[in-house]
Amino acid sequence: MTTILPADPSPPSLDRSGPCYAPPPLPSLAVERALGRVRKPGRYAGGEWNSVQKDWGLVALKWCFVYPDLYEIGMSNLGLRILYEVLNDRPDRLAERCFAPDVDLQGQLRSARLPLWSLETRRDVRAFDVLGVSLGYELTYTNLLDMLDLAGMPVTTADRTEADPLVIAGGSSVLNPEPIADCLDAVLLGEGEEAVIEISDTLEQIGWHRRLGPTGEWLRGVSRADALLALARIPGVYVPSLYRPQYNPDGTFARLEPLVSEAPPQITGRIAADFETTVHAIRQLVPNIAIVFDRAQLEVMRGCTRGCRFCQAGMHYRPLRERAPDVAIAAAQSILNATGYEEIGLTSLSTADYTYVNEVATALHRLRPQASVSLPSTRVDAFTVDLVDAIVPSGRRGGFTFAPEAGSQRLRDVINKGVSDEEIARCAELAFRRGWSALKFYFMIGLPTETMDDVLAIGDICRRVLEVGRRYHGSKAQVKANVSTFVPKVATPFMWSGQDTTAEIEAKVSALRQTMHGRGLDLRWTEPRSSIIEAALGRGDRRLNPVVRRAWRKGARFDAWDEHFSFQLWLEAFEEEGLDPAWYAQRDIPLDEALPWDHLSCGVTREFLARDYGLALSGKTVADCHWGPCFNCGVPTATGFECRTGEQGPRRLLVRPEAAEAEPGDGVAAEESSSRWRYVGPPGDPRRQGSVGRAAAGTATGGVPDDAAVADSGDNAEDTAMAWPSNLLGTKVQSKNAGLSGLASLVDAAGGESTG
Amino acid sequence: MSESKQRWRIVFARDDDARFLSHLDAVHLWERAFRRGELPVATSGGFSPRPRLVFAAPLPLGMLAEHELADLFLSERLTRLDLRVRLAEGMPRGYRLIDLHDEWVGSPAVATQLVAADYRMTLLGVARERLEGAVRSLLAATELRREKRREKKVTAYDLRPLLLDLQARPRDAAAGATESPDLAAAGLWMRLRNSQDLGSGRADEVVEAIAAELGLSTSNPPWSAEAEAEDAAEPGPPVEPSSVQPGLEIVRPVRERLWLSDELAL
Repeated sequence: MTTILPADPSPPSLDRSGPCYAPPPLPSLAVERALGRVRKPGRYAGGEWNSVQKDWGLVALKWCFVYPDLYEIGMSNLGLRILYEVLNDRPDRLAERCFAPDVDLQGQLRSARLPLWSLETRRDVRAFDVLGVSLGYELTYTNLLDMLDLAGMPVTTADRTEADPLVIAGGSSVLNPEPIADCLDAVLLGEGEEAVIEISDTLEQIGWHRRLGPTGEWLRGVSRADALLALARIPGVYVPSLYRPQYNPDGTFARLEPLVSEAPPQITGRIAADFETTVHAIRQLVPNIAIVFDRAQLEVMRGCTRGCRFCQAGMHYRPLRERAPDVAIAAAQSILNATGYEEIGLTSLSTADYTYVNEVATALHRLRPQASVSLPSTRVDAFTVDLVDAIVPSGRRGGFTFAPEAGSQRLRDVINKGVSDEEIARCAELAFRRGWSALKFYFMIGLPTETMDDVLAIGDICRRVLEVGRRYHGSKAQVKANVSTFVPKVATPFMWSGQDTTAEIEAKVSALRQTMHGRGLDLRWTEPRSSIIEAALGRGDRRLNPVVRRAWRKGARFDAWDEHFSFQLWLEAFEEEGLDPAWYAQRDIPLDEALPWDHLSCGVTREFLARDYGLALSGKTVADCHWGPCFNCGVPTATGFECRTGEQGPRRLLVRPEAAEAEPGDGVAAEESSSRWRYVGPPGDPRRQGSVGRAAAGTATGGVPDDAAVADSGDNAEDTAMAWPSNLLGTKVQSKNAGLSGLASLVDAAGGESTG
Repeated sequence: MSESKQRWRIVFARDDDARFLSHLDAVHLWERAFRRGELPVATSGGFSPRPRLVFAAPLPLGMLAEHELADLFLSERLTRLDLRVRLAEGMPRGYRLIDLHDEWVGSPAVATQLVAADYRMTLLGVARERLEGAVRSLLAATELRREKRREKKVTAYDLRPLLLDLQARPRDAAAGATESPDLAAAGLWMRLRNSQDLGSGRADEVVEAIAAELGLSTSNPPWSAEAEAEDAAEPGPPVEPSSVQPGLEIVRPVRERLWLSDELAL
């Protein structure tokens, strides 16, 4: 692929406003002509409310967030909104954005020899010092390569020079970045709120930004190699080029050898401090054009302790942290004021599990009656139905979404989705009775230990639920089942489990289809072949580096979109490198085998995962450690972050009733002076009712409530880039094969239950 | 539905930052702006009430504007200063407030009073002299049979009565005259009629007529009727890159102003 240079390579000039590097923006006529020939040019134009344009002459180190998917997807990502604000809140930092151009603009850029530009100041992406890449999903890897190429940069780290920015990735796919390790200069594991500041401070200290040299050229003050060594010393940062993998003669992975002393043998993800009391994304970006999740978002809880064994996000974002309710209420109002949105989503991996969800939703309803609140979560229980019932106005009850994930009780025990057939039927009945006429269920096919009986049980449940629905809504009742293919994800108990073959999946789907026809029943399933590639890339090693490059050179783009995904092309790419995607995706990996991602973790230990996998295979469930006993997942030991849930200690989150009602300050009201605090414990805890009596527990340590004091060991906001799937779809990590029917299905999948 | 106590005519301009908004996107943008400024906007009735904001004419995606009109209905009376301050607080990026007029609440909808609109733009791919020839022959014609495409429907109509004036001008300096002076380019200005019976003239259709006169193709800018119809088909698969054919290309189209019936005698 040829390198594309700016159409007008005029020498960068010294900006009058300051001493820092400030090359001119791209020629406006060329940009205008390119935008004049593409669909939805608003994706590439910038100018959004709360976007930040800073003077390049005054800021030394410049970041550009590179999101390898379309604007509509990337702008919905809360992680991006958070980190954008964290960096731009600092006067001496600057962050801009760039999203993957759709194929029409890709063509225009190549034919006009224009480089990729940042939205804020329309500068060449290559002029930045750091590219912060969001890696949320394996099927966006080829987009990343394409964006780097469009920016005029070498796609591999080995070929980059001091002129190129550092490519630093974050997000939920980085627990195994090995399949594209040769494209990434560094990888940040875990949550990014504090780490991006540390990374940029380090890079500025060592002089990675450009400075005017004696000869009138703009040069970096440090070599690329030294910059990488400095990055490797930052906790949570992994620099792939400082390691070399070894393989066994039988083709299995042996170990990863650090090549220099700066490279730590084991890297643990970051956890940001003060999640409970600090909200970073207040002045959230408001897109000009419609996007997938076009609403304000407040993350009320991070992490999830339900322990669903297929769910990567649930293992990745431990420990569980909840926003103090008064902070959440104040922040929600500030966000609504700052954005002008009239809808706010209370997001998390499972919002119905947020202890204060009722308090927060009720208070918001009272304080902002015209604003609507949505809950993107799909827990199957009566509480969820009641909650959504209280929040969603009766006029907007289109569909209600549940995610039982498996058809039979046995298999739900295997995946630790502890919900019984009766409970599902009861919830469905409740939802039908409360006015919803269409229910939507998410299921996975190909889960470990699955038999045909388990698959057919999906049909049984759907028919049973439909019968209930008929009693309330007659022939208007509808049950939709969305079936996706199980993909083993690293850092989950199921990472050792092989995926079903495509033939097996197809047989299961077609058997299910035969039981799922008739009025009111609708079955949709995802393209199983892209799941193989997703699984192969997810569990891959560095031998896949050339495979990904080859697939991209052959034209793979937007692999998550069915209309672009080409299985054939990926098969060719694997074959030409002498590799087999099935070996990566479908093999049951022995528990004692070394894994290519063993050196990376977010705290959850391999021993815990293996133990839990064993329990899964024998059909044993484990309880939610939020309120129950601890199962020693390893997070506190590895991260130094104290769990404040379950038997790890009494909950010390408190509510100050006055604050909850008072006029919102700006998001950070809680830790100011405290007066009377009310203990809010687990449901059923008698102390939960007594309002002021127990308040002393919090105030005893001094003016500041106890929880704030504890909190400095770890807060954090969203990690850099929670993958869009997990982030956007709540617990539905498996269902985000967005391509299916495009944006519409995504919107539907995530917002369906609350927005109709 | 809330009662409208006051009707303000907002005169505004649109710059680059908001240029690529469709009309629907723009409506949402303004609604968010009113909420940010906490304006007491009157709402329409119906199942899902909407703020009462009525535009004189939708501004096509991609077009800049210097003098647009929209009527905002308020449920409480505000002074001009108060309104100005609150609007400024949440004013969407890329929009500039030019003027505010306190209108009688009961006067007819602003769109029905619209009689004409002025446009200017730069055309790439044609020199000024050549463009002047085409302009002269369009103006000399008594009838201009053209086809209008709306979604899949094609209707024949006469463009000539909608074309009030047309002038070739030097190219717009803002349209990259300094960036690439070697390109053949010329400025174009037109006044198009907006009538209840004949319909409203569209600038892109005039350019197509010019292109036909010159024997050139046009490049189908994002604000053209055809592109809009394509856009309406969202969400769909992204289209393959189209090959760029030589022809007339419109750059920086600007709607200079809208004319109401009491401002312009036709």
